[in-house]
Amino acid sequence: MQLVGEGSPRAFELLYDRHGGAAFSLAYRMVGDRVMAEDISQEAFLSIWRSRMRYDASRGSVRTWVLGIVHNRTIDALRRGAVHERRREQFEGVEERHEARERTDVEAARREEARSVRTALDTLPVDQRRTIELAYFGGFSHSQIAELLDEPIGTIKGRMRLGLDKLRNQLADFAAGEFA
Amino acid sequence: MTAGDHTTFKDEVGAYLLGALSASERASFEGHLVDCPECRHEVERLRPAAELLPRSVEQVEPPPSLKRSLMEVVEREAKERDGAPTAARTPIGARLRGLLGGSLRPALVGAAVVLAVAIGFGIGQLGGGDDGRTVVASTSLQDATGSLKIHDDDAVLEVRGMPTLKAGQVYQAWVQRDGMIEPEPTFEVGDDGQGSVAVPEDLSDADAVMVTREPRGGSRAPTGKPVMTVAL
Repeated sequence: MQLVGEGSPRAFELLYDRHGGAAFSLAYRMVGDRVMAEDISQEAFLSIWRSRMRYDASRGSVRTWVLGIVHNRTIDALRRGAVHERRREQFEGVEERHEARERTDVEAARREEARSVRTALDTLPVDQRRTIELAYFGGFSHSQIAELLDEPIGTIKGRMRLGLDKLRNQLADFAAGEFA
Repeated sequence: MTAGDHTTFKDEVGAYLLGALSASERASFEGHLVDCPECRHEVERLRPAAELLPRSVEQVEPPPSLKRSLMEVVEREAKERDGAPTAARTPIGARLRGLLGGSLRPALVGAAVVLAVAIGFGIGQLGGGDDGRTVVASTSLQDATGSLKIHDDDAVLEVRGMPTLKAGQVYQAWVQRDGMIEPEPTFEVGDDGQGSVAVPEDLSDADAVMVTREPRGGSRAPTGKPVMTVAL
């Protein structure tokens, strides 16, 4: 990461090789459109390259840092464009899948990790899980979710916080930081 | 801050971590975090849960064109920075090379780019070919001054008279836009209080560029109040 900060294209390529798939997958999960997910991923990685964004190891793994940047960029894109309307309609629909091939042990481990996190999410009460998914993956604001679900904003905020609290307890082992 | 304000903000911790606040709500929340250790603690307590959410995503194969187009841009920009311009816009390294006689080897030009950024707009004015505008910063620091030289797609903030920081601290630049505060590079100042930082952004729709003190490595959101602000 230090070399990316110093402007090394090879270090940047390595960063992309390690985290590009997860970044694209997150953007695609949020927007449901491969072309748009590609644009967002490109914007996010170029922002890392151009600004020499500083990665602070004490604040989490490189992957968490990259995915945080992609998430913010995707929310910006969702709130800017008309995609949100489409996503609102299809949020519960069946999505197109282009699953990654399991070529390496790392990819297999990530699939296993994804399954574990999804299992933890599934243990949440349905209303909390749905609220969290609409916010994090749908890019909806709390007031939009309140409108969508016809619930008071206070209820929505409470579900978000309670849901994260439960998830934190479920995922205590993950949060201990074994992921790189 | 009133107890009512605090209760309102505390209720928003989950929404903040999930990205579910509007830009203005987020800015207010982050302003509250600066003064509220309890909310900061709650954010850090729940952050690991929010950060695991993207890991639940089914992995899909990115198109090969994504890496190809990314690396084309990266290689081109690295070459430009190292003194072999290929784009229409003249990079600062080439501008400086023109000023210094045009015979510098690439490695020296690389060093010269750093120097040019460090010297900031003074060199631009000497060169006479600089098309940017300069905006003076306001600051709460005694004896400090700052000025932001803005170009079409980037800017350089030059500061003087800045206090030396404690060990483990750096200055960090931020861009405020539509109520959102975006992180920019960190920087340090010399014993003489002078320093500069490149802000690699098109600032045409930005509201302000700010500087805060942050832990070494920088932060994703400001942890203190701005010590310098350039209103745009």
